Amino acid sequence: MSAAIKERSREEYKAQEERLRAVWANPAGWRYWTSVNNFQIGLWYGSAAFAFMLFAGVLALLMRLQLAVPDNDFLSAEFFNQAFTLHGTVMMFLFAVPIFEAVAIFLLPPMLGAREMPFPRLGAFSFWSFFLGGVFVCGSIFFNAAPSAGWFMYPPLATDKEFSGIGADIWLLGLSFIEVASIAAAVELIVGIMKCRAPGMRINLMPLFAWYLLIVAGMILFAFPPLIAGDLLFEMERMFDWPFFDAARGGDPLLWQHLFWIFGHPEVYIIFLPAIALMAMIVPTFSQRPIVGYSWIVLAAVGTGFLSFGLWVHHMFATGLPQISLAFFSAASEAVAIPTGVQIFVFIATMLAGRVIFSTPMLFGAGGLAIFVIGGLTGVMVALAPFDWQAHDTYFVVAHLHYVLIGGMLFPVVAGLYYYYPLINAKKLSDRLGRLAFWLMFCGFNIAFFPMHLSGLRGMPRRVFTYPAEIGWDWLNLISTAGAFIFAAGVLVVVFDVLRPKHREPRGELNPWNAGTLEWISEPEEDWGVRSIPIVRSRYPLWDQKDLARKVNEGRYYLPDAEEGRREGLVTSVLDAEPIQVLRVGGTSNVTIVSALSLGAAFIALTFHWWIATALAAIICFCAVIYWLWTGTGEIPEKPEKDVGLGLSLPLYASGPDSVGWWAMFITMVGDGTAFASLVFGYFFYWTIHADFTAGIAGPDAVWSLVAAFLFAAAWGLMMAARMFNRRRATAAMRGLLVLSLLTAVAASATGLAAPWSPGMDPTRHVYPAIVWILVIWVLAHAALGTVMQAYCLARSLAGRLTPKHDVDLSNVVLYWHFLLVTAVITFAIIGLFPAAM
Amino acid sequence: MGQYFSLSAASLLLASGFAGARSVLEPAGAEAQQIAILFWVMLSGGAVIWLGVVALLLHSALFNRRRLAEQSASRIILWGGVVFPAVTLCALLAYALWLMPALRPFAQASSAALRIEVTGRQFWWEVVYRPSRGPPVASANEIRLPVGERVELTLKSADVIHSFWIPPLGGKMDMIPGRTNRLSLMATKSGIFRGPCAEYCGTSHALMAFSAVAMEPEAFRSWLAAQAIPAEGAGASGGALFLRHGCGSCHFVAGTDARGLIGPDLSHVGSRTTVGAGILPNTEDAVARFIARPDLIKPGSRMPAFDMLPPGDIRAIAAWLRGLQ
Amino acid sequence: MRLIPKEIETLWTLFTAPVVWVVHFLACYVGAAIYCAKPELIGLSFSAVRAGIAAVTVIALSLIALSAWLAWRQWGFGTDDPPHDDPTRRDRTLFQGFATLLLSGLSFIAVIFTAMPALFLTGCIR
Repeated sequence: MSAAIKERSREEYKAQEERLRAVWANPAGWRYWTSVNNFQIGLWYGSAAFAFMLFAGVLALLMRLQLAVPDNDFLSAEFFNQAFTLHGTVMMFLFAVPIFEAVAIFLLPPMLGAREMPFPRLGAFSFWSFFLGGVFVCGSIFFNAAPSAGWFMYPPLATDKEFSGIGADIWLLGLSFIEVASIAAAVELIVGIMKCRAPGMRINLMPLFAWYLLIVAGMILFAFPPLIAGDLLFEMERMFDWPFFDAARGGDPLLWQHLFWIFGHPEVYIIFLPAIALMAMIVPTFSQRPIVGYSWIVLAAVGTGFLSFGLWVHHMFATGLPQISLAFFSAASEAVAIPTGVQIFVFIATMLAGRVIFSTPMLFGAGGLAIFVIGGLTGVMVALAPFDWQAHDTYFVVAHLHYVLIGGMLFPVVAGLYYYYPLINAKKLSDRLGRLAFWLMFCGFNIAFFPMHLSGLRGMPRRVFTYPAEIGWDWLNLISTAGAFIFAAGVLVVVFDVLRPKHREPRGELNPWNAGTLEWISEPEEDWGVRSIPIVRSRYPLWDQKDLARKVNEGRYYLPDAEEGRREGLVTSVLDAEPIQVLRVGGTSNVTIVSALSLGAAFIALTFHWWIATALAAIICFCAVIYWLWTGTGEIPEKPEKDVGLGLSLPLYASGPDSVGWWAMFITMVGDGTAFASLVFGYFFYWTIHADFTAGIAGPDAVWSLVAAFLFAAAWGLMMAARMFNRRRATAAMRGLLVLSLLTAVAASATGLAAPWSPGMDPTRHVYPAIVWILVIWVLAHAALGTVMQAYCLARSLAGRLTPKHDVDLSNVVLYWHFLLVTAVITFAIIGLFPAAM
Repeated sequence: MGQYFSLSAASLLLASGFAGARSVLEPAGAEAQQIAILFWVMLSGGAVIWLGVVALLLHSALFNRRRLAEQSASRIILWGGVVFPAVTLCALLAYALWLMPALRPFAQASSAALRIEVTGRQFWWEVVYRPSRGPPVASANEIRLPVGERVELTLKSADVIHSFWIPPLGGKMDMIPGRTNRLSLMATKSGIFRGPCAEYCGTSHALMAFSAVAMEPEAFRSWLAAQAIPAEGAGASGGALFLRHGCGSCHFVAGTDARGLIGPDLSHVGSRTTVGAGILPNTEDAVARFIARPDLIKPGSRMPAFDMLPPGDIRAIAAWLRGLQ
Repeated sequence: MRLIPKEIETLWTLFTAPVVWVVHFLACYVGAAIYCAKPELIGLSFSAVRAGIAAVTVIALSLIALSAWLAWRQWGFGTDDPPHDDPTRRDRTLFQGFATLLLSGLSFIAVIFTAMPALFLTGCIR
């Protein structure tokens, strides 16, 4: 094998390199913004998230100024309430979650030895959606229209138009949009980590960062959909007066709290785990040894991921639920401290077993841990219901959550910034400025937030825009304000260090910290990620595999060339990372921006109830997405196989569970199923809180419901048959079955509609008809999408883009129909049969 | 340390004579007492753990020069990360679970000698006392309770979610539209405590508080009896102005024609420790200011401004209200 | 025990024990919540709820113990020490076994924690 490589002439090597460079190049001029390279998207994503963080930080400083002295009138009550709502919203949705998506998109491909994420255009789409939604939500405060009901948006304060204006809609629609972006990112991350690792990178050799991100992406899939379901109920109440949270008509404000916190608590760990993942990369590097307790970290990440879903009611300890319910959540909230402790002790053990170089990233990491441990300990305190009855919604909790998030997330992220900055332009940030920033931030933070424990115990509630002088909160608040400004000064030093011009500084080494993982061999000047895709045989390949960097950069491994002018990467198997396919990914394109902007426009127009504009934008978005799919996915390659180098030839096309598209569909539908499950939860929730939850209203017709379920099952069966006939080369039969299935689906939808329609259920009258209608609408919307997919497959078949051997579209659509079948059968069984059974 | 700070705050309050904000660490009630002990236990344990972890962190990062073998390092993870927390947390959880039913015993509707219904409204509190004997007594923005007796509070909301909390007596309980929550409290020391609204409820959430007055049982009973009959009133001209300017369409004053139910009951407003839902001292001046521009004192308040009235009329009304002892 | 192959070639086994915890947690919470909301539905006393929790806890702990045993077996009964970082299929399998064993341990503790409320609380007090 190496003989052939040696024979290769120098010119040939140069030509290879040129082709590869041309294929992966970023577009020039204004078209630069149409780039989809993970490096660019990651950078934009991160910068935007950081900018949003600074914005929310300024809001926090304004609030601290207002609270510096009692009875202050620096800010009006109205502005203060908008400010704290936006502060929380922006920090959570526009900084903490996106910054990790940014870091992941930026780091994962080089770390896994891949060229790109599996769906680069989806990444770009996700970024533009996020950016637009973020600007929309943040901008509202300049028009005095920002949401002001708190980042948790409790109804009825946030749903009732008497109490809240357009700000609530802006929050809801702007963030729904961002939630969609997060789920898109989760799909990208899961597929990227499971299927696109370098050959040989078995799951026991995967960098810990990837392990964490895999878990986090999975958590997003189960955490965000309940919020999306909640948003749907919320907006239906605001727009069409469906009384989901209106107690007068059988609704209940507590359902929102459940749905919000089922999202909201895992969210904390979704934020925390990636930051700790950065620490899991930094600590081994500066301890100069592999991590001790690799499996323990996996335990901690997976354990935290699961347990974090059993904590949500600890935000509702004071709502008057039965004590036994509270107690289960107290118990789980205590249990989650164990995996968290494991992570800290893994770092300590690694440092003890190594020889530590105490650098700026380590300083931020260690300082962050010291802060975080306090947050963790107060977390153990407030997790106990009795103590929480006192501490809940006071400044004690404000202190707790900032200790957790700033110590557990912001400090590690800054550590990561100092550590990974050389990957951007091969230059280090300044050690001196870093240390200065650290001490300002560390001291400022503690001065600002430590006294809040005390003001909370003294009875200071959260979200107060002012307080009287006589009650002993004044000097505690004054100290907090002073600390906040010291902390902000530290953040400014970091910002200065990042932004100060560095072109005079010489280019640094490629791997300045002598780290062991793959991301350190990619050259910042090149857009191709890795020059050739290596074979990995260690957790720390740069330490253990001699000459790896040189060989990679000499193109001695897989895919060193781009003969067909296509962006290519490898798909490998989940467990042992054996190469199984060459994946051609989408390149630079406008379609991502067009679809993100039109989707954004649709959401924004909806906020202002501009129905025509909404419809128009939605149609543009629909067309853009269809165009995107038609031109960019399921492409039939010009040859079945390709030589990837080192004597290996791999297929260019895969269908079914072998294809990344199938995985993406599966993952998306799991998220979708979670949202559906949340709505079903809502149905039964209303059943539990009322003696007769139908309120005497006639329910959906049982016969119509069962016929609908049966017809959906029939449509699904026809789809299965269509896929089978296609594989047997009976193309005409397949097309006929597709049409038949489509018609059956339409009939099923009409029947499903008749079920609540025929008894004349009025969704504005009571929550029972409303929740039935929302379930039916959910099924019908999915059925509509299902028929679009069927029509798409038919069109692909007629256009010759779907053949018996190349059936990825059809197999993905059948997968969608599996989920649709389950959704429809559950829905119609419940709405048709349950009320009678009770 | 916390105790010292809290005590100094308390002395400040006594000096000002204002409805006191007393820390949860200076309990004056049965529940708060138990929770304060729980807190001190957790704080001392937490402090030791924090010092230990940070010392270990610093040692391993800065001073450790001996490379520990991988196996012994793994043992540190097992003992420090799993065994120790699991055992400690299990004990702590058992302690808290054991506390829970004892802290909030199920006060049967019949067994409590006194039931108080509190309804949260933007941004004030409607209060009705329902003693086991005697007529119900309506009030607002002040809760009085007898020391040493268990009181059952029935908590509701008329608009958005509020939360009822008297820090030195016990934990909080939300007031949720459509739901009725119950809380049982027992004051163990007499005093005046500030109770803030603890759930964000809109523009003037910060300005929604009440004073809780824990009284000796005898004093409480005579106070309640006095509240059950209309106040004498002083300066009848103010009363006439009160009615003439329409105040009675929102406010209720027992023994007069003011029968409104939208705003706080003012039958005995003069005897309360604060006005404006715990935000102003109960002086004639403060009452007059509130009548003139409630929107300035409490943004988002539903009460219209009355600054178009002659200042003399406002004064007279304020004086009359102060006289409703 | 040949029913379950010794080396299960999937990532999913890793999640067995935590999934048991999830099911146990939901069974406890949903069961108690429904009982407290609609006590007349079942018509039993609260001690029946506690007995139910005890029963699901025993089942859950047994399942986790089974998962732990399988993991222990996959890990070669501890004959090999971590870090399991050789680029071989064997080490990958050992790693999976060890990680699964650890997760079984954590889930075991978490299930016990979750069941503890039933020891202390004797009614649907709020």
